[in-house]
Amino acid sequence: MTGTEAALRITGLTAGYPGTQVLHGVDLEVPTGALAAVLGGSGCGKTTLLRAIAGFHPVDGGSVHLAGRLVAGDGVDLPPERRRVGLVPQEGALFGHLNVARNVGFGLDRAGRRSGRVEEMLELVGLAGYGKRMPSELSGGQQQRVALARALAPAPALVLLDEPFTALDAGLRAEVREQVRAALRAAGATAVLVTHDQQEALGAADVVAVLRDGRVVQAGPPREVYSTPADVGVGEFVGEAVVLPATVSRGRATTVLGTLPVPGVADGVGQVLLRPEQLRLDGAGTSGVGATVVEVVFHGHDTTVLLDLDGRTVRCRTMDAGGLRVGQRTEVRVDGSARFFAS
Amino acid sequence: MSLRTHSAVLRWIGAAAVTASLAAVAGCGGGTPAAAPADGAALTIYSGRSENLVGPLLDRLEKAVGVDVEVRYGSTGEMAAQLLEEGADSPADVFFGQDAGALGALSGAGLLAPLPADVIAPAAAKYRATDSTWVATSARARVVTYNPDLVPAADLPRSLDDLLDPKWKGRIGYAPSNASWLSFVTGLRLIRGEDGARQWLTAFAAQNPQRFDGNGAILDAVAAGTLPAGLVNHYYLYEKTSEVDPAGYKARNHYVPNDPLGLVNVAGAGVVEASDNKEAAQRAVAFLLSEEAQQYLVDETGEYPVVEGVTPTRDYDLAPLASLSPPDVNLADLSSLEQTEAMLQQVGLL
Amino acid sequence: MPTTTTSPARTHPRRRRATGAPPFLVGWGAIAGLVALVPLVYLVVRSLDAGPGAFLEVLGRPRTGELILRSLALAGAVTAACMVIGFLGAWLVVRTDLPGRRAAGVLLALPLAVPSYVAGFTWISEAPGLAGFWGAFGVLVSVSFPYVFLPVVGALRATDTGLEEVARSLGHGPARVLLGVTLRQVWPAATAGGLLVALYILSDFGAVSLMRYDTFTLGIYTSYRGTFNRTPAAVLGCVLVVLAALITWGEARARGRAAQLVGRGVPRQAAATRLGRWRPAWAGFVGLVIAVSLGVPAYSLTHWMVVGSSLGVDLPDLGDAGLVTLQAAAAGAIVTTVLAIPVGVLAARYRGRATATLETATYVGHALPGITVGLALVFLGVRVLPGIYQELPLLVFGYAVLFLPLAVGAVRTAVVAAPPRLEEVSRSLGHSRFVTLARVTLPLAAPGVGAGAALVFLTIAKELPATLMLRPTGADTLAVRLWSYTGVGQYAAAAPYAVLLVLLAAIPTLVLNRAFREHDRALRAQEKEDR
Repeated sequence: MTGTEAALRITGLTAGYPGTQVLHGVDLEVPTGALAAVLGGSGCGKTTLLRAIAGFHPVDGGSVHLAGRLVAGDGVDLPPERRRVGLVPQEGALFGHLNVARNVGFGLDRAGRRSGRVEEMLELVGLAGYGKRMPSELSGGQQQRVALARALAPAPALVLLDEPFTALDAGLRAEVREQVRAALRAAGATAVLVTHDQQEALGAADVVAVLRDGRVVQAGPPREVYSTPADVGVGEFVGEAVVLPATVSRGRATTVLGTLPVPGVADGVGQVLLRPEQLRLDGAGTSGVGATVVEVVFHGHDTTVLLDLDGRTVRCRTMDAGGLRVGQRTEVRVDGSARFFAS
Repeated sequence: MSLRTHSAVLRWIGAAAVTASLAAVAGCGGGTPAAAPADGAALTIYSGRSENLVGPLLDRLEKAVGVDVEVRYGSTGEMAAQLLEEGADSPADVFFGQDAGALGALSGAGLLAPLPADVIAPAAAKYRATDSTWVATSARARVVTYNPDLVPAADLPRSLDDLLDPKWKGRIGYAPSNASWLSFVTGLRLIRGEDGARQWLTAFAAQNPQRFDGNGAILDAVAAGTLPAGLVNHYYLYEKTSEVDPAGYKARNHYVPNDPLGLVNVAGAGVVEASDNKEAAQRAVAFLLSEEAQQYLVDETGEYPVVEGVTPTRDYDLAPLASLSPPDVNLADLSSLEQTEAMLQQVGLL
Repeated sequence: MPTTTTSPARTHPRRRRATGAPPFLVGWGAIAGLVALVPLVYLVVRSLDAGPGAFLEVLGRPRTGELILRSLALAGAVTAACMVIGFLGAWLVVRTDLPGRRAAGVLLALPLAVPSYVAGFTWISEAPGLAGFWGAFGVLVSVSFPYVFLPVVGALRATDTGLEEVARSLGHGPARVLLGVTLRQVWPAATAGGLLVALYILSDFGAVSLMRYDTFTLGIYTSYRGTFNRTPAAVLGCVLVVLAALITWGEARARGRAAQLVGRGVPRQAAATRLGRWRPAWAGFVGLVIAVSLGVPAYSLTHWMVVGSSLGVDLPDLGDAGLVTLQAAAAGAIVTTVLAIPVGVLAARYRGRATATLETATYVGHALPGITVGLALVFLGVRVLPGIYQELPLLVFGYAVLFLPLAVGAVRTAVVAAPPRLEEVSRSLGHSRFVTLARVTLPLAAPGVGAGAALVFLTIAKELPATLMLRPTGADTLAVRLWSYTGVGQYAAAAPYAVLLVLLAAIPTLVLNRAFREHDRALRAQEKEDR
């Protein structure tokens, strides 16, 4: 066990149920102190992965190391209570029969409960003085923060958060997410957040791992995963995407939106992936490709515009769509470079 | 879920736990003598007779015998089954039962010790088991109970065979699982022989007799007017009328002399073979045959005495035992119940 | 998610640890299983006493087959009626604007405290013409429908009404929603209650003998009482065991998989269903059920107390009997519940062939008449445990054998309703499975477990045949005193004991009802906060 060892290292993890394999060799490394997000759609195996890390699901192959310690694999299978993994389930899941302070102190021994650790944790999540309340007297967001304080109290090697914000109102979600992130930072904890929500993953995590069909298909900083996805599927999953057929010749891809720069790509046929915000509209201009406005959806801070380009619909996101009307002709231009995926 | 929810439930469970531990500490709870004399001289009586009938008598027995007496009350049949199950390890010293069949079954299983001749001497010879393992303590006659509003005196049966008349179809009650009914059928077998008994039972079954839970239920049905007549023991009427006004309770006893219908059965007692206190147990049985005990039984339960010279001081409508001239049956033979059961199964009366 | 111990785990030896039942729970449950097996061992030993020939002879009697059919017919009819009344009653009390539904909630649970022999005696003395199948049917339905009513009330309170609202909004009428959605949601609770009813009917002797409807237990009692021959009784007992096992197995089939609690864990209670112009009719239905099940015995007891001449109530004796009953029933309820906990938890969390067998084994005792279980413990007591023979511990042991299923069902239902995720949180916080059970699962399941304990308490308070055989000498429960007086026809003297018995049984019913109400209130408060 060394200080430079990753807090969580998963190698070639396979797991499943009799007759069905769910995880097909997952590799994942989370550095100490980082907040990693495991992002995946339903059925991708993210819940099984989380339960395998925590020790609630048996591992068929591969290994799980926590802070350099082998906890599962190679004949080792530590029971959950000896793994030092803090769990924050969906919807908080507080012990309804215990008050807040006793919920937070649940994982501490007697000395730990008396050391002021409980109050420290409540302060950390911004709920100082709530110790005597019952869970039923708290709002959903407060319950979630108590659940985090409870998980953090025994100073675990890793905190696992299982879709912790999905049950909250949209307005509350961002706020609670920030509070949780801040608390995790302040505690210096390493955490893995499992979610199907791209915004949640990209907005909260230091590292995003995209899980698909029981494999990690890409892992990296959120910006990197967003801007340089490993394949079209990842690109479409982590954010809105415009995918167009393209032919590449000498570093330029020919598409319905014109020729786009694709630096360092070999010649070939395939698809390009653009983000909607890369498209610029110019109602009067002549600098781009002509298109017809099909639909305008106003979001407040920006607007989604659907365009018809010779029978192909393209989605475009712009901050300035003040004058656009349905049926209007406009010019489309692409900012920056495109990602090309050979077929 | 709130803390209060759980505290209410837990409080209740807590209270129950405290009560339970108190019960455990107390050993057995209310009314039990805490300790038997050190030499284990306390006498345990298994009584198949009701506490309300014989409780005061057994209190007197305790005084007369001079040792602590513990009485377990139960039904004769169940207590006999329990004794059979306990066998040589039984804590019982004396068995006090309702009918000859149970006593015979225990005796047949070797669970009763022979009684000394002087203990059973007061009882008339026909009221002692041939091997002296038990002795009758009181006698009771089978009667036909009837509702005078429904059955004119002229129609009352003079013998068993009168009940096979079509006019009784569906109008007679009996208690198939009751020991006294089984004793009656056993007596019938002894008097008329196997074939004769089967013949009568088959014809009786064809009369569509009504089945009841017990003698008391038959009497109630007769008194209520829903059943014209039934086959019971004579003294149930006196138990009933001790609580309700006899004038309003329209059940009467009809004695049938010189007929199996008038069979005399007994309640009796014996000393348990497993007893380690046989001497005191024998004194207890002897007390039950004393004049004091016989007088009590006759007066309080309306039964017949088994010793000469005891007459009821209370006004029961009781036919003198001598006038019944019951058929001559050896009571010990009443324990051949398995053949009786088999026969009843055959004819469909069980 | 949880795989069973019988899953093909051999290829993955490490899988056993993660998903198999913890050894302490298995060991603890095995003790309960051994307790439940006592009567079976006894019955087999006694059945073969007289050789296999006698065994077959008893089985081959035509009367045996006839009595089986009569028993099954009665058990089937009573169970069906109890399920209808119990379900409708629970729905009316929990989900509708029935007038007086709060009082009805208590009154519909109370008939459980009326011993079947008291109800039977009342009916036959007031209406002798009822004797026979329909009389037995009526009496047994009137005392046993709460076995269905109580668990269904609990299930309805724990169920979100969202699905019902969805069904209504999709155009289904109230009746269709009631039968198609509501009933389906509480089906596991209803069949679990129905199972208890069916087994109880098989074992009952008091009501059927008073109602003069011959059932299987008549054969058993006649054998013991009339002929003092234990072999036929034991053979018939074995048949009852087989019937009970088949019925229990059938119920597990009919129940299907109990749904694990999904969603928020806090059920939402919608506004009461308005009964509209049917309100008086439904109120009449509930009133009739209460009048028949409680009113008739109450009338009869009052009648006897007023009419009888031996009215002098022996208050100290009454108090003693009440205290003994309280002690025996409380001790029995606690021991039975403690034994039922591992079985219920295993059945809820670790389904598999082994746990199903264990659960079935604990149910068998409930189908046996008290006299059979009593004799089994006499058999065991005098041979193996002479030190506690005819002492409280052995009596409590007997109660556990007879009434384990009442508590097992309650524990299982309550544990299924407790979110397993909370147990995982506890484990990940460093607590072992034992500590998790003690600090999370059981406290969460406390209301349901408490309800089971109360059910056992009520049932013990009125138990008679095993009590007569196993009680400490001289320690008379209320039921024993009641029997003692009614046995010699002194109904007036018996009446106060019957009244006290019903009052004593009302205590846990009321406490539990209050606990459930506070529980509901807390949930509603939380919901308000959430919005």
